[in-house]
Amino acid sequence: MPNATRNPPETGGGIDFGAALPGASGNETAAGRERIAVRNLNFYYGSHQVLFEVQETVHEHEILALIGPSGCGKSTFLRCLNRMNDTIPGSRLEGEVALDGRNIYGPGVDVIALRRRVGMIFQRSNPFPFTIAANVAYGLKVNGLARRRSEFEAVIERSLRAAGLWDEVKDRLDKPALSLSGGQQQRLCIARALAVEPEILLMDEPASALDPITTTRIEELAIELKARYSIVIVTHNLQQAARISDRTSFFLMGRVVETDATRKLFTNPSRQETEDYITGRFG
Amino acid sequence: MAAALAPISFPHPGRRALRRRLADFLGWGLCGLAFLLLGSATVWILVVIFLRGMSALHLNLLTQVTQGTAGGLLNAIEGTLVLALGGILLALPPGLATGIYLAEYDRGRLASIIRFLADVLVGVPSIVVGYFVYVAMVIAFGWGFSMAAGSVALAIIGLPYICRTSEMAIRQVPRSLRDAAFALGASDARVTFTISLPIALPGITTGILLALAIGVGETAPLIYTADWSNYLWTGHLTKEPIGYLTYVIYAFITQPFESAHALAYAAALLVTLFVLIIGVISRMLLVRSSRAL
Ligand SMILES: Nc1ncnc2c1ncn2[C@@H]1O[C@H](COP(=O)(O)OP(=O)(O)OP(=O)(O)O)[C@@H](O)[C@H]1O
Ligand SMILES: [Mg+2]
Repeated sequence: MPNATRNPPETGGGIDFGAALPGASGNETAAGRERIAVRNLNFYYGSHQVLFEVQETVHEHEILALIGPSGCGKSTFLRCLNRMNDTIPGSRLEGEVALDGRNIYGPGVDVIALRRRVGMIFQRSNPFPFTIAANVAYGLKVNGLARRRSEFEAVIERSLRAAGLWDEVKDRLDKPALSLSGGQQQRLCIARALAVEPEILLMDEPASALDPITTTRIEELAIELKARYSIVIVTHNLQQAARISDRTSFFLMGRVVETDATRKLFTNPSRQETEDYITGRFG
Repeated sequence: MAAALAPISFPHPGRRALRRRLADFLGWGLCGLAFLLLGSATVWILVVIFLRGMSALHLNLLTQVTQGTAGGLLNAIEGTLVLALGGILLALPPGLATGIYLAEYDRGRLASIIRFLADVLVGVPSIVVGYFVYVAMVIAFGWGFSMAAGSVALAIIGLPYICRTSEMAIRQVPRSLRDAAFALGASDARVTFTISLPIALPGITTGILLALAIGVGETAPLIYTADWSNYLWTGHLTKEPIGYLTYVIYAFITQPFESAHALAYAAALLVTLFVLIIGVISRMLLVRSSRAL
């Protein structure tokens, strides 16, 4: 992608829709059928309730951005969508998260299979201290998705290409992943998540630790990936939400204040709290 | 900075300042003295062992078995290796499994009980462990003085070290890496075997080496369980006493023969070298692993 610098992210100032990346629709109509439906979700760490009666939907081929002040429960909500909170002792959940109409917290759900379908990119890039190739291959091995060497190689190349990293690493796939730069490591993590062909991608501030150019790349990548996946992205960067997302959800103290088409939410929010937040009056 | 502090103690050194300087002097003096004592004791021990051991060391020691209080040390070297490795082999599966369990699967009551037991086991004098194995295996099970009984004793002594170092090493594997694996659809066991263990391997190896070094240096529990033999081990697990280096140090140094003393010092040198080398290897492993993460 030689034109990575085409749209340097804004720093400060208002929400500028002129800077929307090509392909970002930012429009009012949800892109496709409903994939995830969250109903009356309450979440507790021990006795501390973090999410209150959350309602949310995620559609096919859309980017849903989650914004809101620090500690309002965005990451917790995201982790409810692939049951990553299961690994936290003492946590408890009420309500329903349906994926294609089936409650993922219902009886008999295969959490392993669920996590393959709903991939996750973390805020801090976390490549395994293995080789670049082994990082991308990990999910394939775990899920038994490839057997022969040629199958592995094909998926590794395809995933790295999709993450926009192939040209930079194709000659050193057997080098340690930790020898990559920070931005490359994050794109490697994206490639690693794409390798198992998830249907939905959860991204928790994937670019917050990265420089502006790499951030733009990851944003472009998200828009490209939207053609094949649904993406839920947590971001502290309102411009970023405005640039790439179709719909935006505003979280405040564990509640969803409003969810709306991104353009509408940023230009004409229906709730006062939202307006206060996006105009920088608090948060 | 200096200007701000000046009015408190300078330029007139009052009684307070003098006392402080005295305390300072005494403190450093005591530290230096302690260091000197410790350092000189260590150096002295090493020098004596090396000088006397080196002069006693010759090729026959490595090719001949012991004859009475003379001859070589081949049987003892072989026995020490066999017993120490046997002990590790016995201690590793339960020790590592417990370490994994403590680090990744249990945060409750049982874990704290296991940790407490491991700490108690570290504190039990090794001769007591030897006596226990003597009563249980040598006598009650009818194993007799043997490689098996000696290895069990060393395994019990090494177990808590392997368990706790494995736990520590696995705990140090970053949570974010485990999360990444879970998010890709890996099961608990999968994460343990493909992420935690490989990344913790240098630390786990350090624990194994530590247990090995302790096993090589133990005497008391082996006297109760392995006894001693002038011959090479023929491979019987039970009812065949087996020799080891620390026995030579313990038993031969009090004999009134020059040849016995020479063997004792040679054995002491070999044991020391063993332990030193193991120590250096585990140091290198630790440095390498801390660089990797
Ligand atoms: N593992 C945990 N155990 C207990 N409490 C937690 C845990 N993780 C998060 N919390 C609490 O839950 C609340 C929501 O946290 P969460 O990480 O979801 O917020 P966030 O919106 O992602 O914030 P940020 O924007 O700073 O990342 C916070 O009050 C936090 O302290
Ligand atoms: Mg967060």
